[in-house]
This record gives sequence, C-alpha cells and structure tokens, in this order.
Amino acid sequence: MVETLRHDIVIVGGGAAGLRAAIAAVEADPRVSVALVSKVYPMRSHTVSAEGGAAAVARDDDSLEMHAYDTVKGSDFLGDQDVIQYFVEEAPRELTALEHWGCPWSRNPDGSVATRAFGGMTTKRTWYAADKVGFHMLHTLFQHSMRFERIVRYDEQFATKLLVEEGAVRGVTALDVREGVMRTILGRAVILATGGAGKCFPFTTNGNIKTGDGMALAYRAGVALKDMEFVQYHPTGLPGTGILITEAARGEGGRLFNSKQERFLETKPEYGVGSKLELGPRDMISRAIIREVQAGNGIKGPYGEYVHLDLTHLDAGLLQKRLPFVLELARTYVGVDPVTQPIPVRPVVHYMMGGVDTDIDGATELPGLYAVGECASHSLNGANRLGSNSLTECLVFGARAGRHAVDFVSGVGGVDEGRLRERADQEAARVEALRGKQKGGEKLVQLRREMNQAMEEGCGVYRDQGSMRATVETLAQLRGRFADIALEDPSRVFNTELIAALELANMLDVAEAVAIAALDRRESRGAHACSDYPTRNDQEFLHHSLVYFEAGGPRVDKKDVTLGTWEPEERKY
Amino acid sequence: MAPSAHPRAMAPARPGRTRTAPPQTAEGWYAQPRMRRYLLFDATGLVYLLLGFLMLRVTWALGSGRVAWDRVLANFENPLYVAFHLLSLVAVVFVAVRFFRLFPKAQPPRIGPLKPPPAPMIHGLLYAAWIAITLLFVTILCGGLFA
Amino acid sequence: MSDVERKTFVVTRFDPDRDEVPKTQSYEVPCQPDWKILDALNFIKDHIDASLSHRWSCRMAVCGSCGMNVNGEPKLTCKVPISDYSDTIEVAPLSNFPVIRDLVVELEGFLEKLEAVKPFILRAKELSLDEGTTRQTPEELEEFKQFSMCINCMLCYAACPVVANEPEFLGPAAIALGHRYSLDTRDEGAAVRSEIFRGEGTVFSCSYANECSEVCPKNVDPAAAVNQAKFNSVIDWATRLVLPRGGEK
Repeated sequence: MVETLRHDIVIVGGGAAGLRAAIAAVEADPRVSVALVSKVYPMRSHTVSAEGGAAAVARDDDSLEMHAYDTVKGSDFLGDQDVIQYFVEEAPRELTALEHWGCPWSRNPDGSVATRAFGGMTTKRTWYAADKVGFHMLHTLFQHSMRFERIVRYDEQFATKLLVEEGAVRGVTALDVREGVMRTILGRAVILATGGAGKCFPFTTNGNIKTGDGMALAYRAGVALKDMEFVQYHPTGLPGTGILITEAARGEGGRLFNSKQERFLETKPEYGVGSKLELGPRDMISRAIIREVQAGNGIKGPYGEYVHLDLTHLDAGLLQKRLPFVLELARTYVGVDPVTQPIPVRPVVHYMMGGVDTDIDGATELPGLYAVGECASHSLNGANRLGSNSLTECLVFGARAGRHAVDFVSGVGGVDEGRLRERADQEAARVEALRGKQKGGEKLVQLRREMNQAMEEGCGVYRDQGSMRATVETLAQLRGRFADIALEDPSRVFNTELIAALELANMLDVAEAVAIAALDRRESRGAHACSDYPTRNDQEFLHHSLVYFEAGGPRVDKKDVTLGTWEPEERKY
Repeated sequence: MAPSAHPRAMAPARPGRTRTAPPQTAEGWYAQPRMRRYLLFDATGLVYLLLGFLMLRVTWALGSGRVAWDRVLANFENPLYVAFHLLSLVAVVFVAVRFFRLFPKAQPPRIGPLKPPPAPMIHGLLYAAWIAITLLFVTILCGGLFA
Repeated sequence: MSDVERKTFVVTRFDPDRDEVPKTQSYEVPCQPDWKILDALNFIKDHIDASLSHRWSCRMAVCGSCGMNVNGEPKLTCKVPISDYSDTIEVAPLSNFPVIRDLVVELEGFLEKLEAVKPFILRAKELSLDEGTTRQTPEELEEFKQFSMCINCMLCYAACPVVANEPEFLGPAAIALGHRYSLDTRDEGAAVRSEIFRGEGTVFSCSYANECSEVCPKNVDPAAAVNQAKFNSVIDWATRLVLPRGGEK
C-alpha cells in the first residue's frame, strides 16, 4: 500500500516558477497547504544557472508598450498578445517584490536598480545582479519561502504520474529518491514547474536535471504540448561542455568574430540583425554563426568548430564588476582569460519556447492542472524568446497560477480515494518493475546517446524535412526499444540509475513531440528554421502547434494565436 | 575514511528514514599542512595555560618578600625553564601573526557611518601596538631588574 | 581522441541495505586531459558501474550539488580538473555528514541550521509594492554581497573542525547567510539574529580555523562572516544590557 499525503495544492518543481507559485498561494490564503515536490533540493534547480538578467520596464525612456512590442516582434508574431500585455504590466511589480525580499540587484550610484542592454530589447530594461541573476533570484525565493510553514517541501521526490479522477487532476505519485518507495501526494490542484528538456540534445546549456519531466506528465495525461518545435539555441555556449556564456557579455559590448577576424554580423547584412549587431535576437545570431561555420569561417577545435566572443577591448575593471562569473567560467572550463583572449563559443540548446499548453492563468484544459515557467507555453515567447524575459515570466505566471489555483481549490470537492489508491498502487508496481530490470537488450546510455544524436540531426538550428522525418522515425523506434531496457542497479536507497531511466522515458516522449511538431511546420519562423521552407508563411502557419499523446503515435493539431495591438509584419532589426 | 567525527555531526533533528553511515572525517587529515598549522594554533593554548600559572607564581612571589622572589629568579638558572620561555615566545609570535592576518576580515563592514581602515593599515596598527607594548614592558622589566 | 590517460579512482561505496560500513571500490577510467573529476564519475556510472550514486546537475559550479572529498579535501567535483592529481584519486563523500549512499550525504541537518538563522528580510512593517524598489547604494550592496554568493555546497562544513566535533554548531554557511541578511540595508532583524547567534549552535564555538574560507569555491569567506557576527553579537548583548528593548519584532 502506498502512503498517501494530503495537501491543497501540489507544486512539482522547486525553481523560480514553482517557488513563486508556492509563495503566491500561501500569501493569497494563509490556510492553504502547499506541497512543493522537487526531484532535487530547490537550490539546485536549474534557475540557478541563469546569468544575464530579468526584464521589466524601469526607466523613464521606456514604456510597457515598447516592452510588449519587442516581445511580440521577438516571438516572430507567434506570442499571444494578451499574455504579453499582462506580462509587461506585472513584470516591474514582480521584480520589485523580489527586491523587497532581498534580491541583491545591481545598483546605479544613486541607489536605484540598474538595467543593462539585452538582445532584441530597444532599450535597457534588464535588471541584473552582476551576472548571476538566476542564482540570486533562486536563493532569494528559496530563503523567502522559508518564512511560510504552510509550504511543505518534499525534496528529492520524483513525480512519476498525474492522478486524474472524474476528469480532474487529483495529485501525483512520486518516487522517494532516498527511500526508494512510492508515495501519493494528493492535491486539488497541481502546478507543474519542472523546466525545459534541453537534455534531449547532446549540446546544451542545461544541467543534468532538465529532462522535461513535467511536460511528459501532462502529455501522458492527455494535455497538449504547444509549440514544441521552437527550441532556442543560445548563440554563445562553450564548445564541448555547452556551458552558458551570458548574452550580457554581448550586452556589455562583446563582439563576435569568425576565423578571418571578421565581425560577421556587421559585414554581412543578410544575417538580419541590422544595427543591433550582437544584440540582435538569439535565433538570428545562432543562425548566423552556423552559416559562418558552414561557409568555412569557423575556428576548428577539439569539440567542433566555433567562433570567437571578444571582450578584450572592454575595461578589465568593468568585466570584473559586471561579468565576474563569465571570467570564472572561461578560465575554469576552457582555460581562456577573457580579459586578454577571445572566448570560443557556438550555438547550444538553451530553452524551450514550447511546453504544456495553458491559458493566461497557467491553467491547462485538464481541470486543476496548471503549468508555469519553462515547462509551460502560455504563450509569452511564441517562436523565439528574448533574453531576460524568462526569469520574469517565471515570476509573473508563477504568481498568477498560484493565486488562480487557490481560487480553484476552494470550489473543488472531495473524490473517492479508493480509485486513486488503485491507480497509485499500479503506478508503484510499474516503477518497481523497472528498478534493476536486468532482463532486456537495450542499454540506457545507448538509447540516450541515440536520442541525442537524432535530435541534433533533425532538430538543429537549421532543419530540413528529410532529416526531421528520419528523426521522428528514430524516436518512435527508440520509444519502443525503451520497453526492452536492461538496468543494472537493483538497490533501493538513492538509486540514481532508476531515476535516469524514468527521465529518459520522459525525454523520449518530449523529443518525439518536438520532432513531430517541427516536421509539421512547413515554414521558417523564429527559432524554427526549415531549409525547405525558408520564409515565414502567415497564411498557413500563423498558429500554435499542438501535439497530443495517443497510443498509435502523436497527433498534431493547431490553436489560434491571440493577436492584439500588432499585426504580423516583416521581422527586421 | 576514519569515522572520527562526532557521531551526530550534521545530523538532522528528525533522522531520515534510511540508515546512514556515521559522518566520516578524511583519513590523514592531520597530515595536511593547513590542518597541522591549525592544530598547532589551538595547541598553543596549553602553552598559555602554563605561562599563566608561572605568571601568577611570579606575581605572588613579588608580594611575598625577597626570599620568595629570589627563589623564582633562581628558576631561570634552569635551562629547561629558559627553553620553555623561548618556546612560548615562538608560540606567542606564531599566534599573533596568524591572528593579525585574520583580524581585518573579522571587522564589521560599517559601524554607523564609520568604516574600518583598509587591511594593510590594520596590520600596521596591530604590529605597531604590539611592538610598542613590548618595548614598554621590556623597559619596565629591565628597569626593575637593574634597579 | 588522443591523450587518453588511465587513472584509478578509489571511490567510497555504501548501500545501507547491503553494507555494514562504507568500503572503497577501485575503477580504472580512461580520462580525457581536460576532464573534471565529475566527468570521470559520470564515465564510471555510464560505462563501468551503473550502481554508483552521486549528485550533480549544473556542471558549472553554481548549483552546489557535487561537493565531495577528493584525496581528503572537500571539493566541487565539477570544477576540479583531474590534471591536478596523479594516477590514483580518492573520491569520498563529504566529511562530517551522515552518508546516505555512496557519495550522497544527508543535507537535512544543514537545512535545519539554515532555517534557524531566519535567512530572509525581517522588517517591522512589510514594504509595499507601491513604494517601488528601495534605494541601496553600490557601497551598501558591497557590504553583504560577498556573503550572498554562497551556493550551499557545504564544503565549508566538511572542512570545519568545529562542525566535526559539535553537532549543534550552526556552521559557516548558515551563519554567513544569516549575517548577510543582517548586513542588508533592507533588513531590520540584526538584533534577532544576534540573539540566535548567541543561542544554541553559538557562533562563539568558532575557533578561527579559517578552513571554511580556504575551501570555499565561491570566495564567500564565511570565516569573515562568522567572526563579524561574533563582534556584532557582543555589541548587541552589551547594548541590550544598557538599553533593554521592549517588545519583540
């Protein structure tokens, strides 16, 4: 029998979005009890690695309208404009709240919060904390959340399945990583805040934990994944490790050079960044770098070809003050001192614009199920996200969903726990059968590697129908082969091989959704660049893609984009 | 690893639901130069303790007349006695240098509007004070001894 | 690839269901020259022994998951190059923590100590969003910024001789984080924390070993925080003798 725990709201994921939702829920109603279920301790969440900043209108020369327009344009007109409007309005309030909670924002000499330039933004509106904004925001939120006894943390608990009864979500089953037992955590609302799925790809800025777990949970429960084809390649990751070198390095004046010492964004207007140069949107710069490498202008290295990010012309004192983490990363991981040498960089997978389909409240079609943060698609970011919007997004929609969930649960009655217990027992048996499952012909590492390779080939910066089709087939096969997986470790306590297997299953589902959605979008828009269809096609493809999980294979559908003040136009910078 | 840490080191109030191995301490920790210096630093406490008793004895002797005082002075004929005092001089210098090195970072960043002086200045002041006090005592003692 | 070097990793193993006490197991790993220790551990897990359990995530020295003892010294294994070591490398769980499994240690003790220092902004009256952001000069930010850099990796706890001997001691990171809030201009809780710092787990247990600051991978300098906290605690105690405070915050 599986132990059952009961709360009002269950939040899966303890990063910025999850913590913000938890805080919003208990602030909205101090009687509500919130379970924060995370497969790692919250301070390990991948929010911690974000470097550059969080955007919100702060200066007099800025306006909500400008922020909204930049975001709409950055999204290649696929972002929902009502969502964007709400976002830019709430953004300054959320970042101010964080300041009140102790976040050490960098300051101007007069004591006001400082802002820096960022890609695709017409003016400086990115609040920053040196170059470790994600770290500071996460720790501020985590430490602030310690004030609330009603937020009960379930650390190192891996949610494996959503429990759905009478057409609504009722909680989750979770594997206790330490004890090796399954538990049922019931809640009248579940908020998924589990982040993206960069680990489907071989080169990513993402940490080991970004395996699309929440996306897979919702997907398997019948909720659509929206706009999955839009995978953001961050232009400047370190070759080999994929470690992120923040866009702020370009914001402070960094420049990109190819093997001919040419500042190619400037000399080649066909890359489309116009006068913004290195501060153009990420999708355009990533494409520019790939094209430079394809044209033979890449610099060769042991981990493939790259270009140079040059900070040497910047004052060393400024670098130490505004980009200390970049200095440390370059020195530690590529042995380069950015003060005197250029940093090798190449595009790496960084962020998923797509995710669980939700409305502006973060609510999905499944009553009681919400999704926020990177694992959701509201859609704020459309086909391409502007840097520094996502951290603010976690706060704005985390808060909104937290409050909405509180309202929702007040109207939800009880449910027959007997049926839930049956489901939970079945799920526990399924997971137990996987533990140390020695009978099988497939190796976990091999399946993972093949998935990574298929995603690199079919869902790269540039895609073509042929390789996307091959990737879809490969992934379908891999999902079948997963059933034949053999695991070596039968242990009970802290079995990380079992966790890796569960994560691989999640990644295979999510990867397939990405590939199928990519194959279906026969145009180029934002981060989805299809060489067979190199232009944007608003006639046929101005819609969100939806992918539904079905036994016979994923089904693709579409959803309208909510337009508003701005009609789609040519995206020129 | 040798489990020589306290068995409840870093133990939570409510123990976890699986059996844990007791906290370990790195084997050979005492061989690391940094650890050895720290142990020496702490061990000088014994030297101070002994010095303290000897000081008390000297002070008592001062107030107990010529005979007691001469007896105490006679101790300095003993080479072991002298050796101990030389050793304690080394210990004092060692502790002072280490303490002075760490002292600046223990200063609060600000008391009201006042900020502490920069570290090199703090070091200078500490050493200057140390030398001044030493000279003062030497003068008094020497003056007293040869009075 | 060229330049592969074979190194032997002697790794502590412990499965509470099977082992009475932790033991070691040796693995021969073909290492790339630019690997960190973590890369070798992942190789072992992926290709040699899938039953090895260890925590890791960001691999860029910011999440704090991968702290372990390497050749007896607490290190962030994602940051330490194998080239710093010779042919045999010992990897063990962090000292001074109960061991759950292999290289995974119990963190709940730390979280209890962290919560005990009230690591959040304490104010008599909460700030309102309508007031906008507070003013804090760059100089005021510098005063506590260093102490806010703690990634909770707990290398300092593994290095601290007092943590090894006194279970109640709050420890370097918790004190540094509490002190960080006391120094923050937005906080009004310095007196509350000073009292906590004089209570159980007192900061005065610190014997100035400075080991914590030596091993900290983020230059937080917790020793400075602990000793500043001592100074502030004394001033706070003396002030309260003279001017007792009426009413709690």
